[in-house]
Amino acid sequence: MLKPKLISQVLQQATTGGVKATILLNPEGSLLAFAAQSDRDARVYAAIASNIWTIYSKHCKPEVGPLSTLMLECEEGKVAISMVSTMILCLVARDDVELGILKAKSEALTRHLVEPLSRVAGY
Amino acid sequence: TQDMAEELVVHFEKLLTRVDGLLSAVVTDRDGVVLLKANAPNVTTPFTESTLGCTFALASDQASKLGLKKNKSIVSIYGSYQLVQFNHGSLITTFVAKSEANTGLLLELGTELESVTQVIATALHERHSGTLS
Repeated sequence: MLKPKLISQVLQQATTGGVKATILLNPEGSLLAFAAQSDRDARVYAAIASNIWTIYSKHCKPEVGPLSTLMLECEEGKVAISMVSTMILCLVARDDVELGILKAKSEALTRHLVEPLSRVAGY
Repeated sequence: TQDMAEELVVHFEKLLTRVDGLLSAVVTDRDGVVLLKANAPNVTTPFTESTLGCTFALASDQASKLGLKKNKSIVSIYGSYQLVQFNHGSLITTFVAKSEANTGLLLELGTELESVTQVIATALHERHSGTLS
């Protein structure tokens, strides 16, 4: 089974260099693990990230392919959302963090988490 | 006004040649009504233009509640395509491109186009407020 504390420690490794929060959630918006400044922030990010993921998933058709990544740019921050096995990974960063580095961190975490999360996906 | 509309379409069609893999550029309002669109020659994309605008409007409103102030743009990458969409005031600009197209270039292009879409938004606003009638 998954070790939640260990997952939080893995997510914590991405919260450097302007990344404010790293969150793992299920597609319904419930938190699995997070590294963030506060519980409340993590819950808000998770709920909105899952909503936005669901909205864009509606474009998925066989000829379009599956949704793999969302990158959002706001006036005071940037967000990267991606799929890891059946879960959603969300990174929230300050505005001075480049989208490229946010995407790279997201991909690195995905590579690290996909195998253990795939093993529990069937439960 | 007709000449200006045609000029804008030609301008957008030229833009499509600037980035490899850029297939379509669409400007819609927040209800999904298409104001302007340009497609690369002999290309159809599997997206409905009006749906693209509505999707972005919904998602952008949600994103603006993250506590990061107003949402400016959203990039969505699928298996075969990517969408790069911008909030340009009351209008939404959408680029549809192949998934391997350069996302950074598309983001730059959108920033460049903001002044053009501003012209359209201003003209629409003036028409609605009766200044041109």
